[in-house]
Amino acid sequence: MDYEKITKEIRKEIFLTAFGANIAHIASAFSIVEVMYVLYEQKILHYDPLNPTADDRDWFILSKGHGSLALYYELYKCGFFDKDMLRSFSKPGTVLGGEPCYPLTPGVECSSGSLGHGLSFAVGVAKSKKIDGRNENVYCLVGDGECEEGSTWEALMFASHMNLDNLIILVDCNKIQKMDSVEKVIGIKSLKPYFETFGCDVYEVDGHNIDEIRECLQNMNTSSKPKAVLLNTVKGKGVSIIENNANWHWRLPKKKELKYFMQELNISEEEVEYAKSLRNSVV
Amino acid sequence: MQRAYVTALYEIIKKNKNVISCLSDSGTDYDEMIAREFPEQVINFGISENNQVAAAAGMAATGKIPFVYTTSAFIAYRSYEFLRDDICLQNRNVKLIGMGTGVSWSTLGATHHTTEDIALLRSLPNLTVITPASPKELEEAVKAAYKHIGPVYIRMGMSGEKEIYDDNYDFELGKNVVIKDGKDLTIFTTGSIISEVLEVAEKLENDGISARIVNIHTLKPLDVDNIIYECKKQKNIVSIEEHNIIGGLGTAIADTILGNNIYVNLTKIGLEDNFAEGFGSKNDVLKSNRLNSFCIYQKIRKSI
Repeated sequence: MDYEKITKEIRKEIFLTAFGANIAHIASAFSIVEVMYVLYEQKILHYDPLNPTADDRDWFILSKGHGSLALYYELYKCGFFDKDMLRSFSKPGTVLGGEPCYPLTPGVECSSGSLGHGLSFAVGVAKSKKIDGRNENVYCLVGDGECEEGSTWEALMFASHMNLDNLIILVDCNKIQKMDSVEKVIGIKSLKPYFETFGCDVYEVDGHNIDEIRECLQNMNTSSKPKAVLLNTVKGKGVSIIENNANWHWRLPKKKELKYFMQELNISEEEVEYAKSLRNSVV
Repeated sequence: MQRAYVTALYEIIKKNKNVISCLSDSGTDYDEMIAREFPEQVINFGISENNQVAAAAGMAATGKIPFVYTTSAFIAYRSYEFLRDDICLQNRNVKLIGMGTGVSWSTLGATHHTTEDIALLRSLPNLTVITPASPKELEEAVKAAYKHIGPVYIRMGMSGEKEIYDDNYDFELGKNVVIKDGKDLTIFTTGSIISEVLEVAEKLENDGISARIVNIHTLKPLDVDNIIYECKKQKNIVSIEEHNIIGGLGTAIADTILGNNIYVNLTKIGLEDNFAEGFGSKNDVLKSNRLNSFCIYQKIRKSI
């Protein structure tokens, strides 16, 4: 598999969708492209796009809701909806909001985006599964900046005390939050000791290495602890001018900056123009 | 009231294994009765209301019916955004029982009072809000909440509320109850303060003033038809609540009256945009805040 080609194509689609919507959190979606690919296209998650609420599905909760475009791309790619719907992102009449919205979007399990909610919600799902003796897993993707929310730690204390080994927390450690680096904002270099202290089995992988992520998720140990996978990622991965740059948390390229996206993601003039033409459309 | 809550919940838990009692270190001896028999159906989340509320939403998403029971101030204020986003926005089937509402915890002071929760929670779409006045009404409210599919907040007092109904009380969600007939004025009230209101009516009766008392146990959806009916036949209307007069029962009645072109004299009695002051017994705190029966009686005499 040519993963470089595949992930470039994903980032291109995410960018064009964002460009067509006139605004989105591109950099936050780019940092989680690989893990979302592994979960959905390499079938770590068990799901049926024709029956998104099947009892035997694994649950995926995107707590860092602003990475929504990476989730929507995979839901489109895996047959939950078509490309027109993907391109309707954030427009009047769409079911794809800037932040995931339940029950609007097929495959979206809960409304998220207000940070520090998704993990507690996931803990509730995981606890229910345990009570019912079911085997499905619950995956929850949180941001590293998001972990500044106190509810994260309330959820973790409870999850480890309840032995929720069916809960897999994926942490997008892109090291940048809206205003600055996580380290500068709150002084945390690595979340590893924090998750360990709160009772998780902690794994650390290169969040842009597809094989490494998949192997980690396929070979988790069988202890009774919840699992935390720290994905070392680059915010804005894939386009040099936005990588590791907090200024790109919530903006689109200006005219002069656009060429970097076009060159590095193989986007043609026509594709840019087409995306632009969608800006005033209504679904 | 706690015993009434747990008794009602016990019966429900016995019938349906999907009903889960969710505590945040907020249980009582009564809860242990449930936990002994149905340990899988009682979860203590620890002192972490936000996690408790959002996790309850997650549990409801998988078919459970969580009854989240904790101090009302911590549900209504601390967890407000979790209630809003995870429960009400997504219309999850979670029941929230806020205990110790109003100034029930009179010795503890304002951090443990809940005197603005009606204003906050009535404004949340999808949420049903019930304020039972007595143990019997609480039991009925718990049963009604269980039957209702969708989020419900039960505002539960905790200061030795006495029973005001007989065994035949027929509770209906969203339907006001006439507690006492009267011809000179109509008092709308809700929740535990009913005991003061009954005393007020007696005092008025001694002065030859006959007060009709209507208990609005369901604050949302409001029994609008009944409020209109009552206000069309009476000029003097009084609302009495253990809550700020901003955004509470009085405001709900005022909205209804104005929206239906009814012209009456409405006197709103409650906390007058202040946090309840003082400590001591509940009666002491009501007195400090001019909400005991004597002060209410004086306010009514002045207004009509």
